[in-house]
Amino acid sequence: MFDTKERKAKKRQKVELEAAEEYDDFEEESPQDVKSAVPESATRQVDDSAKEDEFGAKDYRTTLDLKNDHNSRPLFVAPNGHIFLESFSPVYKHAHDFLIAISEPVCRPQFVHEYKLTAYSLYAAVSVGLETNDIIEYLRRLCKTSLPNGIEEFIKLCTLSYGKVKLVLKHNKYYVESMHPEVIQQLLKDPVIQECRFRLSAEESEGGIVEGQVSNKSALQLNKPANGNPDQPGTSADGTTDGAEQPTVPSDIFDYYDKMDREDEDETEDLKTVSFEVKAEHIETMQKRCIELEFPLLAEYDFKNDTINPDINIDLKPSTVLRPYQEKSLRKMFGNGRARSGVIVLPCGAGKTLVGVTAACTVRKRCLVLATSGVSVEQWRSQFKMWSTADDSIICRFTSDAKDKPIGCSICISTYSMLAHSMKRSWEAERVMEWMQSQEWGIMLLDEVQTIPAKMFRRVLTIVNAHTKLGLTATLVREDDKIADLNFLIGPKLYEANWMELQNKGYIARVQCAEVWCPMNPEFYREYLNTKSMKKLLLAVNNPNKFRNCQFLIKYHERRNDKIIVFSDNVFALKSYAIKLNKPYLYGPTSQGERMQVLQNFVHNPKVNTIFVSKVADTSFDLPEANVLIQISAHGGSRRQEAQRMGRILRAKKGAIAEEYNAFFYTLVSQDTLEVHYSLKRQRFLVNQGYSYKVITKLAGMETVN
Amino acid sequence: MATTRKLDCKNLHGYLKTLPWHVLDKLYSHPATCLAVFRQLPDLSKHYVMRMLFIEQHVSQSVVNLWVNSKYQDEQKQAVTALTDLRVWHEETMTGGLQGWKMNQTFRKNMKIALLGGGNPWTSGGEQLAPDKHSKDIPFLDKYALERWECVLHFMVGSTEGTEGVSRDIIDVLLHAGLMKSDSLEPLPSITPEGFQFLLMETGSQVWYFVLQYLETVEQRGMDLIECLSFLFQLSFSTLGKDYSTEGMTENQLKFLQHLREFGLVYQRKRKSNRYYPTLLAINLASGLSGLSSDSQRSGYLVVETNYRVYAYTDSPLQVALLALFCEMLYRFPTMSIGNLTRTSIRDALARGITAEQMVNFLRSHVHPMMLKNNPVIPPAITDQIRLWELERNRFKFTDGVLYSQFLSQTDFELLRDYAKDLGVCVWDSPEKRVMVVTRFGHDDVKKFWKRNKPSNS
Repeated sequence: MFDTKERKAKKRQKVELEAAEEYDDFEEESPQDVKSAVPESATRQVDDSAKEDEFGAKDYRTTLDLKNDHNSRPLFVAPNGHIFLESFSPVYKHAHDFLIAISEPVCRPQFVHEYKLTAYSLYAAVSVGLETNDIIEYLRRLCKTSLPNGIEEFIKLCTLSYGKVKLVLKHNKYYVESMHPEVIQQLLKDPVIQECRFRLSAEESEGGIVEGQVSNKSALQLNKPANGNPDQPGTSADGTTDGAEQPTVPSDIFDYYDKMDREDEDETEDLKTVSFEVKAEHIETMQKRCIELEFPLLAEYDFKNDTINPDINIDLKPSTVLRPYQEKSLRKMFGNGRARSGVIVLPCGAGKTLVGVTAACTVRKRCLVLATSGVSVEQWRSQFKMWSTADDSIICRFTSDAKDKPIGCSICISTYSMLAHSMKRSWEAERVMEWMQSQEWGIMLLDEVQTIPAKMFRRVLTIVNAHTKLGLTATLVREDDKIADLNFLIGPKLYEANWMELQNKGYIARVQCAEVWCPMNPEFYREYLNTKSMKKLLLAVNNPNKFRNCQFLIKYHERRNDKIIVFSDNVFALKSYAIKLNKPYLYGPTSQGERMQVLQNFVHNPKVNTIFVSKVADTSFDLPEANVLIQISAHGGSRRQEAQRMGRILRAKKGAIAEEYNAFFYTLVSQDTLEVHYSLKRQRFLVNQGYSYKVITKLAGMETVN
Repeated sequence: MATTRKLDCKNLHGYLKTLPWHVLDKLYSHPATCLAVFRQLPDLSKHYVMRMLFIEQHVSQSVVNLWVNSKYQDEQKQAVTALTDLRVWHEETMTGGLQGWKMNQTFRKNMKIALLGGGNPWTSGGEQLAPDKHSKDIPFLDKYALERWECVLHFMVGSTEGTEGVSRDIIDVLLHAGLMKSDSLEPLPSITPEGFQFLLMETGSQVWYFVLQYLETVEQRGMDLIECLSFLFQLSFSTLGKDYSTEGMTENQLKFLQHLREFGLVYQRKRKSNRYYPTLLAINLASGLSGLSSDSQRSGYLVVETNYRVYAYTDSPLQVALLALFCEMLYRFPTMSIGNLTRTSIRDALARGITAEQMVNFLRSHVHPMMLKNNPVIPPAITDQIRLWELERNRFKFTDGVLYSQFLSQTDFELLRDYAKDLGVCVWDSPEKRVMVVTRFGHDDVKKFWKRNKPSNS
């Protein structure tokens, strides 16, 4: 009765379907483009040829041997690279830190978390300083079973050549540096690289390799909270007391954890390195060649020894204190006394801006911030002023509206589109662009880095010459999977926070997600079925039952003194809803001034409790007051947009513990239409983060109101 | 879509009620049966039996009614019906024309023996057994019983792992019960929707249901129902972990014993061995289904996450096979299996006749102890979704109606349609095709109207 074949066929069909759907969200990109930026091995996957059992599941029971003390070990590692972590294990904390470093989180609900080893994640692991053997050994110890052979090989394959060579900028000269002399020797044998190498004299052929030392000391200096940091002095002490209480933890895990953990501590250890200098004009060629040779260069910036670029005078205000996870993410960035380029992933509302500001204050060189919109440029400016000692004299905005004069400023804030603009500019803007191109920027902060089309992004990177690039984002997912390219355009993912943990600790709001079902009324549904074009969606969005539900929810929450944002991608629906309900609305054509005014009113005016916005407000509109979000139409099945929108209400609320939920996220879905399918897809990311959507088929109290 | 009948699992009371009275009378000739029946009676009925046990004559019905406060008439009625149904007592007209209750003499006699002692020993074979060389302890018996029982379930699931196969007799019972059906093309029978429901029941209920079905086939096998039943009742009063002798058992009972051995209700080392051990399955059988079941001894193994993942901490192939009934299995590790609840997997299960409620109950009754601190235990988003998936299959509403078609002109059609609409009996109409549907209720009126006003006829 269980027709295995049929099942398999179904499964396969589903996979194909999903693969096809992934592309409905994002933009086109020519494949040649990608090739040059990504080493071949990055597309490698773990080979998995496990046989299937009678239910069509991958059966690893015969290939993996269970350890005797498996109960006290937290991991199952599948030969296809998926890792399952028990969050209730006594060594959860240890395993969690480690897995975040070496793999991508797939889903993290309450009990069992799933991670996946990928070529990219391993690339990120080695670039923050983990060694191949340590990764394998620690994984072996955490695993409940024997480690699958394929996994060991995969880790070796992916890590042996990655992260071995770094491109370091110090004393304003570029060096290719490595802790492995044999790698440097190998690179130098390549004719193209020989071309790029800088030599004092032509005769000098051998030698010329500079030996040096690199310190392990973290470059991060932070204000400690007054009561002292509980985490810092006692890491190892905590570990041992834990061990005493929990005798079930195998000692080998502990020994290793201490070893792995050491990199986090301010312990000085000097490591020998070898390096050679590269001609500045050949940097691009050099990078490309190294990728072809499968030794991608990691960019590091030795900003302490940079004497050519002037220091700028900013610091964090003494009152600014970072949350533990913010600190941890920055530690990954400044781990070895230099600044690494990379991406930090934090949920919206968890304080990404502060991480960016702290990074800028640590580097203390000329800083460029790129945001997605004019509104968020303003927000970055005010955040800089709030957290750091920077003032208007050193912060400049470069947007079409702002009247600042950016030339010569220390912190410049602009938008991606402003920089990537390829049409004719005003004379003044042209001068600013020339100035920007001529500058060496110490650090470039890239806000909401996942939203930018790769093409535009590359343009920006060729215009701006920055030593460190720090990408900030909430969701490292894109429907087209092009997110992986970012790893090579900016750098590896340095840190990714766990949403549920932050929520449980009260750093972000507790959100109740709900999907409200709105039945189509017969007239609309008849038209819907008979229409073949995009009008279908229009009919679904303007479903009168949806309007009623929306109106009811707004009334209900306004009575509770909540602040409500209503999202609609569809501009027609946006306007008709807003005008009918007599609420202010914002969309693309709304001018910058009007936008700011509406937002100010929403934040401060007790009479404006509801605003309608289009997708312009998806990212970086920081509205700390808002705690209710109603989504009436959305962009297809984009998981990213869903997460981003939820981010608008994630900022932790006052009186957070009083209620079970302090923020509400409603999606209104017209039943039996395309919206149902899309809504299911959109929810996947948040569901994997541990959120659950409550389905509401009927709003209680709706009948009595009308 | 095949309509599925809900498995009707009768309790002991319900089952005995269906037996003809002469069979019941014969059954009562063994004290064990009387005691077993007595135990299952409602409290008030037990009370009546005790009051009347030593009164060797009729008791007037009005007297019996006075025993209970008028507030509790419902309970009183239930108690009376229970006793009547089981023929513990019956109605008789007393001298003087009053209606009275008279207790069944066989029942009275043997109930007295059960309570006061005397008579023959219940377990057959009077002489004491010598101590067993291969004596078995309770954990062994529990394990054995469960293994045997899972063997039957395994066969039903059609899973090929870890089964030793089952005998023809068991297959016959399964076929008879409608839990499986045989297909001429397949060598082995396949499972029915009822069978799926059966699989998701608790072990105690499963065994009871199975034994009931077995008893129904007993007579076809040329065995005596009464002998089998009394033996079952005897078993239910035996002690777990103690061995009993097969001496003095009839040929039929020995045959019955072999069957019980096969489902794991008794343990017998060898077919010819002259001693057997009843297992928990047998002892719990008649001593109250409502009570403990063998499942409660095993701790749960399922972790259900909000993202529709199910992690099964078990290495039992049966438990995984059960989960796979409505869950798409992804990975099998030693000691742990991983699956996903998907719309497809749930809908497949629904199509096989498993209800959403049964799936939710199955998950709930097997959750890992760790999840118990959650309230509710299973994430509500999951239980809601499973129910919604079930509901979405039942969205059609059916209305009986009569089709009117082949109108000769548009005006004819409109005339009749407007009339039907005015009456509010028009279900659907299509002017283009000149057809309309009128409810069955409105059909007569519309038909009469049409006969009167058929314009093109005149």
